Order: sequence, then C-alpha cells, then structure tokens
Amino acid sequence: MLTTIAAGRVFDYSHCIGMYSTSGVGFLAPMDFALGSNGTVYVLNRGVDEITLRISKCTLEHEFISDIGRYGVADGQFVWPMAIALDSNENLYVSDENLNRITVMDKDGQFLNKWGDSGSDAGQLRGPSGLAVDSDDNLYVVDSMNHRVQKFTGEGQLLGGWGSEGSGPGQFCKPWGICLDGNGSVYVADWKNDRVQKFSADGRFVAEFKETSDGVGDLNRPTGVAVDSDGDVYVADWGNHQVKIYEPDGKFICSLVGDAETPSPWVQDYIDANPDVAKARRRTNMEVEWRFNRPISVKLDDENRLYVAEAVRHRIQVYTKEKEYAEAAINL
Amino acid sequence: MPSQEDIALMAHLMRRAGFGASRAELEERAARGYEATVDELLNPGADSGIDEDELYRYFPQFESSLAPVAAQTEWVYRMVNTRWPLKEKMALFWHQLFATGNSKVDNPPEMLAQVAMFREEGMSNFPNLLVKLAQNPAMIYWLDNNGNHYGSINENWGRELLELFSMGVGHYSEDDIKEASRAFTGWTIGAKPPRQPVGRFYWSFEFRPEDHDYGQKEFLGNVGNFDGDDIIDIIVKQEDTARFLARHLYNFFVADEPQVPAWNITPPNDQKAIDSLVKAYMESGADINSILRVLFNSDFFKNARFAHVKSPAELVVSTVKMAGNYNQPRTGFTQLAFECGWQGQELMNPPSVESWHTGSEWIDGGALVRRVNFAAKLLSDTSLPGVKAIVAGLKERGTLSPAEFVRACLDLVGPVEVDEGTFQELLSQAQQGGDISWDSEETSADSERRAGVMLALIAATREFQFA
Repeated sequence: MLTTIAAGRVFDYSHCIGMYSTSGVGFLAPMDFALGSNGTVYVLNRGVDEITLRISKCTLEHEFISDIGRYGVADGQFVWPMAIALDSNENLYVSDENLNRITVMDKDGQFLNKWGDSGSDAGQLRGPSGLAVDSDDNLYVVDSMNHRVQKFTGEGQLLGGWGSEGSGPGQFCKPWGICLDGNGSVYVADWKNDRVQKFSADGRFVAEFKETSDGVGDLNRPTGVAVDSDGDVYVADWGNHQVKIYEPDGKFICSLVGDAETPSPWVQDYIDANPDVAKARRRTNMEVEWRFNRPISVKLDDENRLYVAEAVRHRIQVYTKEKEYAEAAINL
Repeated sequence: MPSQEDIALMAHLMRRAGFGASRAELEERAARGYEATVDELLNPGADSGIDEDELYRYFPQFESSLAPVAAQTEWVYRMVNTRWPLKEKMALFWHQLFATGNSKVDNPPEMLAQVAMFREEGMSNFPNLLVKLAQNPAMIYWLDNNGNHYGSINENWGRELLELFSMGVGHYSEDDIKEASRAFTGWTIGAKPPRQPVGRFYWSFEFRPEDHDYGQKEFLGNVGNFDGDDIIDIIVKQEDTARFLARHLYNFFVADEPQVPAWNITPPNDQKAIDSLVKAYMESGADINSILRVLFNSDFFKNARFAHVKSPAELVVSTVKMAGNYNQPRTGFTQLAFECGWQGQELMNPPSVESWHTGSEWIDGGALVRRVNFAAKLLSDTSLPGVKAIVAGLKERGTLSPAEFVRACLDLVGPVEVDEGTFQELLSQAQQGGDISWDSEETSADSERRAGVMLALIAATREFQFA
C-alpha cells in the first residue's frame, strides 16, 4: 500500500533515493545516514572491506556531491563504520566498531579529530555503534559490546553513561541505534533483546517498546529508532524487514513494508541505459524490489518526513506523515 | 582421563567429520566417548549452525552480494564457526559432488542458497536430496534444464544426473539419458528482477506443465509416463547408485581414491569397505545419516588416519581453527576465501561439473608452497590464542629433551603422526637449541620462540598435508 492509514495517522510513500554502486552515484550496504542542511544527506556505506567503503554526500534531490573517507586505519579512514551523526556546525561524527573510535570530520570530509580507547572501563569503547547529538552538541554513543550508553562532549570527554549486560530495565544486549526526542529523552534499539528502551536524558528507564499480544507489533533485532514531533516512535525492525510505528505510550500503530514501486532517478537512468534490464523488469513481478530488505536506520526531518535506509537494497525510502489527508470515497 | 589413543582417534574423527578441533575439545569429546561423539555429529540442531544475525550485522554485504568473493567468504565464515561440523562438512561434500559454478550461474546469493540446501538436506536421504537438487535454481541454470523443453530436449542435466551425480559411467545407455531428459522437461526457474541496480534477487523453481512431456518413457528397463520424481525414484533403487555414492563418501571421508573418471575401469582401493557402505545404503533406503554412521564407526575408517590429502578448504579452515583467531566476526575472512582459491579450490567455482580432482592432485609446486606458507605463518605466531594454548600445553609438560619437545609438539598440533625420516629432521632442528625449559622469563621466552619455529616446521611436513 502506498498509503497506510492507521490510528488517525496517514503515512504516504513519497519516493526513494539511491542505487547500488561501488563508488560515486549510489550506495553500498548503507549502515546509517544523517540529514544535513539544505537537503544534504550523508550516507555511511559499509561497502566490502577494502573497496567501496565511503560516506556518500548527496542531496535529497538526487544530486551526488562527493565521496568522503575510505577504508583504513589512518586519520579520516574507517574499517567497520557503524553510525553517523551531525553537530550544530554540521560536523560529521562517525563510529567505527572495529577501531573502537569516533572520527570527527567537517562537512566536506576534512579530518578534524578522533577519540576513543578500546576497553570496558568508563569512557572506553567496545564496538561503538549508534550516535545521537543533543542540543548542546554532546554525543550519546551506544557502546554496543559493553552493553551500555555513554555520553561524551564533542571532544570525547566522558560526561556519564548507563547500562549493563542483561534483559532487565536499563540493561542491554548488544544495543545498536539511538535517538533523542524533542524533550531530550533517549531511545535505544536494544538489538539482541528485541526491543527499544526509552530513558530520561540522564539514563533513567522510562518504558520499552517490544511486542504486542497478537504478535504483529513484535520487534526482531531492531537496529534504528526515530521519534517525530508528535512523539510517535519509528523502529527499523531489521529482522522482520519492516518499519514498526508506535504511539508515544508504546501502543502499536502499524508496520510499513516498503513501497519503492517507482525507481529512484538514479535507478531509472540505469534502466534507460540498459535495454536488457528494462526488458527483464517487464517480464517479472517486481514486488520483491519494492519491499524493505534489511531496513537498518530511520530518521525524520523537521516536517516529520520519514527516511528509511536499507542495507541490502542500497537506498533510502521516504514517507510523509500527512496532516490534511481526506479519506477517498470508500465506494469509489 | 582419555588415553592418548582415544585422543588420536578423536582427532581423526574431527578432522574428517568436521574441520578439526582444539586440544581441549578433543579431550572433552574423547572423555564422552567415540560413539557418543559420532552420534552427536549425526544429530545436529535444525538451525544452520551459526548466529546469522551476528553474521549479517557485521557483514551486511554478504546478503544479496554481487561479488562472488562475498559468497565464498560467508561460507568460509560458516565452516570456521559452525556449531554443527558434520552438517557443514556434508555441505562441502555435496558441493564437491554436485559441482556447480558461479562462473556460469553468475549469482553468488543463489550459489549460497544451493549450499544452504546441501546444509539442510545433506544428511537426510538421497532421493529427497536429488529431488531438491533437480529443483535447485542454480543447478537448473548450471546444467541448462531451463532450456530442456517438451519436443526439444536438452540432455545436459539428464546426462550429468546419471554420469556424475548418481550411477556413474557404464551403467546406463544414451537412450536412458534422453528419456530422463524428457521426464525433466518443464522443470525450470521463474523470472526474477535483474541483479542491478538495487542488488541481487533469488530465483525460484517453477514447473511449467505446458512445457512438460507427459508421454510414455522407457528408463533403465522401466516403462511409464515418468516425470522427474519417478526418474529419481528409479535411479536411487539401483545398486550402481549405492556403489557410486559409497565410493564418493569413501573418497571424501576415508581415503583418497583414483579420480572419478577412472572409476569405471579401476576398482576401489577397499572393496569390502565399499560393500559395507552399499549394504547400509540398500538396507536404510538410501538414508545418508545411516550410511555415515556405518562409515564413522567402521574399522576401515578408524584405521585410515592421514590417508586423505586435505582439500584447500579443509587445510585453510582447520588451520585457522587451530590458530583460534577467526572464531568471531573480524576483518580478514575475505583473505581466507581467496586463500582457498589460490591453493586450488575456489569455492562455488569448480573447474567443471566434474568437480575438482582430489587427493594428490590438490598438490602441485605452487599449491604446496602456498599451503605450507599459510599454515606455517599462522602456527608460528605464538600470540594467537590457539598457538598460545599449544605453548601452554608444552609448558605443562615441564622441561623437555629435544626428542620429547618434538613429540609433544606433534601431539599437541594433531596428534600428527610422522615417519621416522620426518621425525629425525625435526629432531635435528630441536637439538640445536638443547632442552626446552621454563625456569625463568628468559628461558620461557626462548622456549616459546622455539615452539613457534617447531610448529612452523611441522606445518611444512608432508604429514601435515594429510587429514
């Protein structure tokens, strides 16, 4: 369904951005992305080891700008990049779960700083993954293999943290994504506990989003989370290949399954340039291509537009949350 | 406490029915008993043997990859880290028997799907496996059954089914091939979206009744309106099929046989062993698990230590398992996949449908140098966890004379059994440093260094090339 109506909300499929590519226009195994100013988007591509790893800088209007970074251990390079976030100056913070460090670059990809020591002591990192920047440009880091969240200044000075290994409230099992809502509350995708936990800004457990009695709202290895200005919570349900949406109190609203029926302009260019591909697409049911395959990261912009990155389809699908939607006549 | 012989026998079983095991695991298994371990190997869990969520978290590019090496790397990861060693080893066995190549299929995820089918079905029964194989999209494309039409047959699948996958040359006629091919008309693959530009998609098996020859066929002396299932049903009842499969199992798990093309003119090295496997096949209704149980519990298996040249995949995987440095997601698995290819076994890309030649044909000048260098480099690195454990095992034995040192290293790295000439070569090197001792930090460091050198030399022996 291109338009999903549930619990008084309307989620309308808009378009998609991206295609598979090993460099330049397109993405390869995107793990995360960040929305910058003036419609800029930074897509963090895991790639295939030594080749194809990069940050793709492009716009929401399908303009490719540049590739940033590459595989390696030197300053400004990455081995297993996991997440990306921007501060108020649009500096890029990138977590690397192999090098156990945070790399800071400016919006053009110039290396600015790196910080992070390997280990399990306070302030050290083991498998840093999700990142979120607060209004003071402090950085929440999901310290995945240490099963905790730590908060740092932008320069890497530890401010605090919480969490331990387990499945109780405030405990984690290899957590992954993280986001903040408009009130500063923290949401963490608790990957191997199949839930999202909500905390106060200082780490006090508030609630969890996990399952519904009929199973349709159950999460399976959630990787990303985002909260819109109405407080609705969007979860990249990686294991189920869906995006699940919950009300602020945790009540399940609906699932999105992916609706990329119309190829992105980059994809359409490729099809137009390859008649055999165009022909092959006409002789088969293309539905499998429309659907999410490993939705891995979800973000929202100021207008509550939802962006969903898919690790295995190398693209971002975009949905709008309609305010003025009028129901079509049911007997049409 | 298990005896030395118990441990040596367990090491043999785990090399063949898996990809080797650490000394601690061998001692643990030996304490539980040989038959209990065979039983455990034959009854793996229903899952694939690894945590696939972890796999795809760290390696998202493995799913739907366009690059063959990504698929090869995923399989190497699975071989190294599986909880069900025999299940994974059987997947390798069937891949070597039902050789399918990405060189033509050109769809790495589909190749992985075929290997997954071997993993899931490889210990069930042979008729079931052959039906799954006949319906496997990679196989259908590899052997052109998508071009096998009613009124216009393509014999490729029908021929190889009989020649290479079940009965062997000399046990069927050209007419049987044609009739079998007629029965498989209409067994094809459905259309799928093209690979580009948003990643790979899977094929699916599709039966097209309008393209199937429903007419009467005569096959191996049987007459009827046979379809593909019927043909397989007839094939698996033949003793020639039992004999052919038995010889393949013997060649893979027990001892190297001549190359397959010579089988119709060269008798098996151990006819009695083949006969016992054929008996198990016929009595069990071609149940693969039952045949394997007879094989692993037989004296001919237990007495066949170091009678099988490790395939490149076996050598690479068993060595990194021994070194203990690839037992979780990390960088470098791609290099292991490449290494298999550089040693002569590019996984999921055999040289032809006849598969790789095995035994001594794995070894040539270039391959041997690669095999030795690969193993020696890992086993000489005393910082690696598995090598550290070997050094710790040496240390537990206290001060050692050069001869005791060599014997202890051979024991802890296998046990590896070497001939007298090899032993004397190793001893002459050990004697240059005198006794091994651990009395001080200085002597301990020197002993550890010498252990690394000795392990590298053992990795370079002729015997280490055998499983």
